[in-house]
Amino acid sequence: MANEIFDRETLLDLTVNMIPLFIIAFFMVAFAVFPLFGRGDLLAMAVQYGLLLVPFVALAVLTYLSGKAIAGDEKRSTVFLQGQATVDEPTELHEYESQAEAAAVDDDSPAELESSDGETTQNDDETTRN
Amino acid sequence: MQVNGQLALTVLMGVFLVAVAAWLARVENWRTYTPLAGGGGAYGQEGYTSEEKPSGLIRWLTTVDHKDIGLLYGTYGLIAFAVGGLMVVVMRVELADPGMTLISNTYYNSLLTSHGITMLFLFGTPILAAFSNYLIPLLIDADDMAFPRINAIAFWLLPPGALLIWAGFFPIPDIIPAQTAWTMYTPLSAGLGNGNQANAGVDLMLLGLHLTGVSATMGAINFIATIFTERAEEVTWANLDIFSWTILTQSGLILFAFPLLGSALIMLLFDRNLGTAFFVNGGDPILWQHLFWFFGHPEVYILVLPPMGIVSYVLPRFSGRRLFGFKFVVYSTLAIGVLSFGVWAHHMFTTGIDPRLRASFMAISLAIAIPSAVKTFNWITTMWNGRVRLTTPMLYCIGFVSNFIIGGVTGVFLASVPIDLVLHDTYYVVGHFHYIVMGAIAFAGFAGLYYWFPLYTGRMYQRTLGKAHFWLSMVGTNVTFFAMILLGYGGMPRRYATYLPQFATLHQVATLGAVILLAGQIIFVWNFVQSWLEGPKVENGDPWNLKEDNLYTAEWNWYDRKLKTAVADGGEEEEEEALTDGGQAADATETDDDAN
Ligand code: HEM
Ligand SMILES: [Cu+2]
Repeated sequence: MANEIFDRETLLDLTVNMIPLFIIAFFMVAFAVFPLFGRGDLLAMAVQYGLLLVPFVALAVLTYLSGKAIAGDEKRSTVFLQGQATVDEPTELHEYESQAEAAAVDDDSPAELESSDGETTQNDDETTRN
Repeated sequence: MQVNGQLALTVLMGVFLVAVAAWLARVENWRTYTPLAGGGGAYGQEGYTSEEKPSGLIRWLTTVDHKDIGLLYGTYGLIAFAVGGLMVVVMRVELADPGMTLISNTYYNSLLTSHGITMLFLFGTPILAAFSNYLIPLLIDADDMAFPRINAIAFWLLPPGALLIWAGFFPIPDIIPAQTAWTMYTPLSAGLGNGNQANAGVDLMLLGLHLTGVSATMGAINFIATIFTERAEEVTWANLDIFSWTILTQSGLILFAFPLLGSALIMLLFDRNLGTAFFVNGGDPILWQHLFWFFGHPEVYILVLPPMGIVSYVLPRFSGRRLFGFKFVVYSTLAIGVLSFGVWAHHMFTTGIDPRLRASFMAISLAIAIPSAVKTFNWITTMWNGRVRLTTPMLYCIGFVSNFIIGGVTGVFLASVPIDLVLHDTYYVVGHFHYIVMGAIAFAGFAGLYYWFPLYTGRMYQRTLGKAHFWLSMVGTNVTFFAMILLGYGGMPRRYATYLPQFATLHQVATLGAVILLAGQIIFVWNFVQSWLEGPKVENGDPWNLKEDNLYTAEWNWYDRKLKTAVADGGEEEEEEALTDGGQAADATETDDDAN
């Protein structure tokens, strides 16, 4: 079940939190290999690793839970453009993306929706750009 | 005799309270407050409509409407910003020459303490609560906050908090202002030694701080409950906007950080007044630093996450495209939230703690820099090749990004132990965090105040003045705080009212910068007040032309509906013509959309 939610896309989104996790892991290994201040004091060592381990675990857990909540909701229900879920005529994200891709194929302009691009833009009458 | 006096006072106080209660009971007919008593309108938000809202001052004292409370928070925050700002202007003027000239050294220390506490607790946290209170229910389509009355109580704890914090400055006999700096390090703050910090003014300040902490905690619980339970059905976790995400994370941080501050403050008060031995009298003064910074570092992220949310929300609207890597920003916000609890001792590298622990704190501090940097790249990529419109809010967003880079990079340097051993307690640190608190947090606040100005005032500000405000703030910030970074490299220690003559030039540059900042903020006040009262009315639900780029969002949709249904919002004098359904009010002034 987990793999249904954590597909490639979601894992890609989560890389942003993998990097800090990796950095913390890196330091844990580094401190183990080069114990600059000696291995003598067990309590100090325990606190030293605890200070790295607790944030590591907390971040991993929160990343997992939030990834599950967000990606799960993506699968379960419609995703709209950011902040548009409750506006009167919302645009769905996949619609927007496929149009943006089509626009990008047409010309090399940045992959964005042009204002004249059909149904999803509501008020063509208001195009007072400058 | 003593007892009789106290008894008399107690009775007097009791009579007074009963009188107040009686007055409050008579002044309003409280039974009319049943929601939707009369024609509440079609929209959930109007649960408390014009009929139920009393008018004038009473409205503001009794309101439980999240929008009104948002405005109260905003007013409060801006007043505190003015107070804290004027305090620092006096300090900067004093620092224009090396000796003690304008004010005494002890008065300097009092101002320093008050400036810090005012800006962080009375301006920073409340101004963010202003945005979240006004906007979150609109963004997630909730009727109001989950607990409207707790919301009101949380705000009303703040004014007494401010009075207590500033108590030392009022002409009360035998009460002097605290001079402990905002970090309140023991043993100084425990009132020991030859200093004067055993004074009751310090106790009052600690109590005031405690009140603001209770207020922030109540607000945070309210936001967590609201965002978890009051979202409309369509607003799934995948559809939750970035500002709400940052507020949710911020509330989580507040929930874990502020109660700890509260406990530490109580312990300090006990040490001061009841002879306990937590930090002094045989206790450990370093314990205070641990407790304080376990709160204090999350606090800096409590202050910076919602501004990041505002920038992530506003900046794409003027870049003509949606936010690049929206989910990166969400996940990195959560990562910052967690990691911010694992870095506190980077403020204590020089206290002589075990070097192994220092190393761990350094590691987490370097790891937390990644999610911050990721966001910066997201903002830059959003603007890259976008159709950027340099409106005032957008200028502030860009200023935010630029200042945040300098503040963040200097922070990463401080996080590495060998560098911090040299730079700790110098002006470099002051430069670092002011690039963030002034250059980034206040800038994002201004971006939000300008961007949503039409939403909460129904009017438009004057754009030339807005831009003047921006440029003076941007130049002033960089002149002031870059000079401080250089001062720090030169070895100028922080928190001194006097200094060696070799630092004079850079100090004068910093003072010049502060004067430029002051000029900018005067323009802001003028623009803000005048435009609120007399600015052109915005009769268009899309003042920033967002529909054009498909960047329209829920709060403007709400505003649009409000314009179209225009039931007079209680309180203000009833404008008859505004009651017409559907159409626009007769005196519709052309919208000044500031889009150039
Ligand atoms: C993003 C928002 C940030 C804010 C609001 C902020 C704020 C502050 C503040 C207020 C202080 C001064 C504390 C004092 O009174 O001594 C400070 C110091 C410090 N900051 Fe930041 N900071 C931020 C980001 C960072 C980052 C990203 C890092 C590093 C990864 C960092 C590392 C430090 C360090 C190590 C100190 C202590 C320096 C010393 O006292 O020697 N900060 N910061
Ligand atoms: Cu910190």
